[in-house]
Amino acid sequence: MMRVLGSNELVEDVFANDLCIGCGACVNLCPYYKNHKGKTTRLFACDLNEGRCYAFCPKTEVDMDELSKRIWGLPYDGGPIGNYRQVLSARAGEEMHQGSFQAGGTVSSLITFALKVDIIDAAALTDREGTTPVPRLVTNWEDVVTCASTKFMASPTLAALNTGIDKGFTSLGVVGTPCQMTAAAQMRTNPMQKSDFADPIALTVGLFCNWSLDARQLTTLLSVKCNISKIRGMNIPPPPADMLILQTDDGRIDIPLSEVKPLIPHTCFICPDMTSEWSDVSVGMFEGRPGWNTLIVRSEEGANLIEKACESGYLQTEKIPEKYLSNLCKAAGEKKARTLRMLVRRDLVNTEGKQCSAVRMPSNVVNKILNR
Amino acid sequence: MSPILGGRKGSHHLLMGNEAIARGALEAGVSVATGYPGTPSSEIVERLAGVSREHNLYVEWSVNEKVALEVAAAASFAGLRSLCVMKQNGVNVASDFLLHLAGSGTRGGMVLVPCDDPGALSSANEGESRHFARLVEIPLLEPGDFQQAKDMIKWAFELSEEIRNIVMVRSVTRLSHASGKVTFGELSQLNTRAFFNHDGSPPNPMQGAVLSFPVALKHSQQQQKVQQAIERFEKSPFNTYSGPQKPELLIITSSTCHLYSKEAIHLLDLADRVGLLNMGTTWPLPSQLMKQYLATTDKILIVEEVIPFLEEEVKILATELAPQIGLKIFHGKRDGSLPSVGELNPDLVAETLAKIFNEEYIAVPEAYAARANEHTSSELPGRDLTFCPGCPHRATFWSIHTVLQLDNRKGFVCGDIGCYSLAMLPSGYSALKTLHSMGSGTGLASGFGKLGQFEMDQPVLAVSGDSTFYHAVMPALINSVHHRSNLILVILDNSGTAMTGFQPHPGRPIDAAGNEAHRIDIPSICEAIGAKVKISDPFNLHHTQQTLIELIEDKPGVKVLVLKQICALSPEKKAQKMYEMTIDETICLGENCGCNRLCTRVFKCPGLNWDINKRVSRIDEVICAGCGFCEGICPAGAIRKKEVA
Repeated sequence: MMRVLGSNELVEDVFANDLCIGCGACVNLCPYYKNHKGKTTRLFACDLNEGRCYAFCPKTEVDMDELSKRIWGLPYDGGPIGNYRQVLSARAGEEMHQGSFQAGGTVSSLITFALKVDIIDAAALTDREGTTPVPRLVTNWEDVVTCASTKFMASPTLAALNTGIDKGFTSLGVVGTPCQMTAAAQMRTNPMQKSDFADPIALTVGLFCNWSLDARQLTTLLSVKCNISKIRGMNIPPPPADMLILQTDDGRIDIPLSEVKPLIPHTCFICPDMTSEWSDVSVGMFEGRPGWNTLIVRSEEGANLIEKACESGYLQTEKIPEKYLSNLCKAAGEKKARTLRMLVRRDLVNTEGKQCSAVRMPSNVVNKILNR
Repeated sequence: MSPILGGRKGSHHLLMGNEAIARGALEAGVSVATGYPGTPSSEIVERLAGVSREHNLYVEWSVNEKVALEVAAAASFAGLRSLCVMKQNGVNVASDFLLHLAGSGTRGGMVLVPCDDPGALSSANEGESRHFARLVEIPLLEPGDFQQAKDMIKWAFELSEEIRNIVMVRSVTRLSHASGKVTFGELSQLNTRAFFNHDGSPPNPMQGAVLSFPVALKHSQQQQKVQQAIERFEKSPFNTYSGPQKPELLIITSSTCHLYSKEAIHLLDLADRVGLLNMGTTWPLPSQLMKQYLATTDKILIVEEVIPFLEEEVKILATELAPQIGLKIFHGKRDGSLPSVGELNPDLVAETLAKIFNEEYIAVPEAYAARANEHTSSELPGRDLTFCPGCPHRATFWSIHTVLQLDNRKGFVCGDIGCYSLAMLPSGYSALKTLHSMGSGTGLASGFGKLGQFEMDQPVLAVSGDSTFYHAVMPALINSVHHRSNLILVILDNSGTAMTGFQPHPGRPIDAAGNEAHRIDIPSICEAIGAKVKISDPFNLHHTQQTLIELIEDKPGVKVLVLKQICALSPEKKAQKMYEMTIDETICLGENCGCNRLCTRVFKCPGLNWDINKRVSRIDEVICAGCGFCEGICPAGAIRKKEVA
């Protein structure tokens, strides 16, 4: 059974330890949690012993084995890219209208299609105000592309999901990073054990993520480099580029990653997930093939969606070389092992007694990941 | 007719201590009275202001205590009798001038009345003014009852003119704010033509320039005058003794402790064994008188409040007199017989007396105390000190707290002195993280705002009331602008010195006596100083929070947000509601609002009640001030407002 505590413990375990990534899972559940410019805060103290805020948080008491059993019906085995059916390369099909996509436009296509054919009735996406990413609940398929392109910053996207649930949507889609997919998966498992629970989420599209950047600090850095109102897009191309590239009205600006990496929130270093393991489908860059994405198909619902989207011309997929998959697994496995070492060092995994763990998983899995 | 003017000589009246002091000043023929509002002193200047036209007085609420003392001193220099009134820590503010004034001397009789607040019932300190009398070497008188409060003022004016220096008459909360019988004397009509003689020879105390120079000479003249005062003190009617000729124990006391001691002696039936010496003239102590009474016994108990002032003075004299009066055993603060903090009361004195006499005295029987505690803890709801319903400060701190939480950099507020000091408590969302003297919030913020060089990035806010702004914030604001500090000063302008009873201040178009006065505009001052200034109505939640967010996220510098809203209790509002408030019971989420009842558990305006039967919030129509603010804090939108026609 997952350990569920209250808002005060959430503040103590996560906020006070600087572990909050600002995913938005606790925002809009109650009047107290708010996100302002990327930072989540609690306005007033609460007197409940158990709360959804704590249950959903991806940074405290995430029981991987329990989650895996509930989501996949399988024990957690610590595999590098999680449970999956198929890994493909993908891009938007010819039916998808054009937008400023980051790579292959796979995510925008899938959400547009899912909205159009009523697989979902609304989608929690990430838009941008200035340089700051903001949550957006989209109900019209034509609006999906306004939220296209990677933000590279922690965003409270799940606040829009909570708004959607509050508004009565019953088949929500959500696009998010691994932390957000973890939170969404916890939401789907009815951790508060409500008798009238019905899973309000119909589709989760996870994004690959190695780390994100602190929205406020990045804004400060960018405002030194350029007039931030003129930024049209940003990209971190795969190695060996080692650059954050800004597309602005005045041309391209390259910022060395050595200047950007100090803006990674510490909490990203306790994240064991690179490929959004708890989603229906996960999407990332396809290294070495511009204009294409890597697509991991995980759930049955995910597989059905991909099939229908391909049939309808919204998606185009291809097989990937075996070598590419093994490289992906290697990178994801390295992140997992690196994180686990950090979790062990900070006493944040399988902590005994009253103290809370960030993550719990069977000890044989810990050993397997750490290769000992 | 004001109670302090009505009534002939010989008539009896029930007066507050402060009213007795004001009457005393009128009987002494005072012409000018000044002060700065502060509990427990405020009624003295208020009452005199109320009769200023009928009695041809000049009365003002000065901008601060130092200026009040200067304005009153000017009247003295011009030959008039003047009175200056303040609370205990006001003397700290005035003390620099007070030191120099004591050095220069005065002309027309001049009396300083500080009202101390032992136990800090209405203060952020329990500081003492008595020490200033010793520090600047001026006579100190302490009335022991209400009649003395009146009579001593007149006597103090006469003493002041005799020694040509200022005299301090110190009151305390329980004298200033309690009431007792006072028999009136004659009202004086003195010659009140003011003229400042300044071209006589400098050393002439009545003709030349008024200076503390040459310092050593003037200082020695001042000390000679103090000796002269002692001679008067030896024969003073305000030093009284009651009890046996050879008591087993002598209590030496002053001020209201005189009444506590009297009651304690009566409670323990010790009138035959204990002598009670009440000193009205407490600095310098008259040594002959002290010698006479110290010689009557070997055991002395000194009863006074807070730190041992009288005790030290008595011990110095007793040491000097030891060859003649012998060694004494002293009880008081230093041996722990009485506490050195807080107020005394008859029970505390009785307990101490009982201990000295090896008798048993239990003020409150244990079983009774236990039962009382049981009832109060189980049957009475917990009640915080809180802002009034409709108080703009509650709205202000709701917004400040919200914005600082959203900003999420552990920003904080440096507090200041006024009703808004309550924001150190949950009723103001515990927003204040420092609280010291008048104006110190902005001074501290000026300092915090310079710590960016040491990697401090917490937003720094200060708050100030309107009256406090004029009193002591302006220099701190100038300092912060000049030094390019980084802070936001939020000025809570509620149109008067609200905490002490709506005394006017320089931002008001009237003065203490109700005469037309020149209004000085706060935003204009701040702009002239060089701060960026924004104005909002704290009841406009969205605009206030948005403005504050913009100021916090703006580039570094000194910014001022003036939040204008008249105090809910202000006579100007005439208790009229702006809005009629209602709660839609079908929408109120009650215990499911947030974690539990946001409006009554967190927001906590007394105008909002919890309906224990219906499990929803409700408006208490009698208490609700109709400010409308709570409409904006209800997450469910259940609180509605309708403009009152």
